[in-house]
Amino acid sequence: MSTPTLYNYDLDENCYKVRLMMSCVGTEAKLVAVDVVPGREHLSPAIRAMSPSGSLPILKQDDLVLYEAEAILSWLARAYDPDRRFLPDDPDTFGKVMMWLTFSARELDAAVDARATAMMDAPGDIDALRDAAREALRIMDDHMTHQHFDGLEFFAGATATIADIALFPSFALSRDFNIDHDAFPALRRWARAVRKLDGFITMPGIPEYH
Amino acid sequence: MSLQDWYPLALSRDIAAGTSAGTRVLGEEFVVWRDSKGAVHAWDDRCPHRGMKMSFGFVRGDHIACLYHGWQYDTAGQCQYIPAHPDLEVPQTIKIPRFATIEAGGMIWGCFNGEDSATPPAPDLPSEITPLRSIFADCPAPLMVAQIAKTTFGETTPDVAAKTDRIVDITLGDIKLIAGVQAIADGESALHLVALGELDASKLKPLSLWAEQLRRDAEAVAKASATTEIAA
Repeated sequence: MSTPTLYNYDLDENCYKVRLMMSCVGTEAKLVAVDVVPGREHLSPAIRAMSPSGSLPILKQDDLVLYEAEAILSWLARAYDPDRRFLPDDPDTFGKVMMWLTFSARELDAAVDARATAMMDAPGDIDALRDAAREALRIMDDHMTHQHFDGLEFFAGATATIADIALFPSFALSRDFNIDHDAFPALRRWARAVRKLDGFITMPGIPEYH
Repeated sequence: MSLQDWYPLALSRDIAAGTSAGTRVLGEEFVVWRDSKGAVHAWDDRCPHRGMKMSFGFVRGDHIACLYHGWQYDTAGQCQYIPAHPDLEVPQTIKIPRFATIEAGGMIWGCFNGEDSATPPAPDLPSEITPLRSIFADCPAPLMVAQIAKTTFGETTPDVAAKTDRIVDITLGDIKLIAGVQAIADGESALHLVALGELDASKLKPLSLWAEQLRRDAEAVAKASATTEIAA
């Protein structure tokens, strides 16, 4: 396989998910910087030929073009993680990973929009987005509270999967849209576990320590 | 500050060694952190340098450092190191106000009556407990407490006995809980819940689900009463 190309914007948490996953499975991509703010380059014809809505990240390898972070995470898990640690085969764990990936792309997408509205002047009702993001984070905190009762440190079980990688950035960055970590003790503990993963990397707004 | 009694701030379990979290009591902001030796600290949540929240910072050993410029403070609240001026002997005046803390009944309690002044007796709580969880809700603390008896646990109606406005005994069938009640701000509160004795995951999960329902119920009541006030 040739080296994949990742169309990337450093401040975009969805791009960070893919960079984090690549680092965790020890692979690299050729990074192509897309000037989203202020250049709006993601809406250029060249990008929209690959990702029609202009959403990032985009992964390209030979003839394969993928957009949507959760799909790219799944592809990376099959292509570059031979032990299938990040997307296990057993049906129960696989189902749980898919459930939380869907949650990440649906319920938790309010957090991505809240951050874009708060930080990058994207249009949106910040109060409504923040409320929806907080509701999603509460569901996550409740789930991890239960996982911790069972001694499980990650969303789908005892070890990290692409579900954790997909869910992590919006919690880690929640102060960007004015949701503090005070009321999410189980997510604080989980975020510390994510930070300890082999291959963990940072992005602007997500420091290494806490 | 006149919060001259013990106020519950968190479950002991939820502030692990080497970590910090922000909290509020009646709107006043504090950082709660535990050093690597296991001692708990509650301070004003503000770095004297640029006013950054210390709860955004990080704990290393027995120091907590501000996320902004890395100023490091020892357990006495004294700034000991400024990375931008590594050779500087830091003036004694660069200090963060700190408050008394104790741990009782599986919870961290803070008393905010000024440094080194006398503290009231510790809350009399059992030590044989299992931490359940903290539950945070957008409603005044008295409303949250009043709701406890109204949210049934399966078929069981909770039996509630408020020992003080901050310590509430809850009986759910053969299970006994203690709630530490935190009035975070006007319309925000938390219950820090522990169970008496030793409970395993199969017992803790239904209790946690009950606490989630309590949060939903309390917030629905708070929202309905806010709507009624506007209509009136």
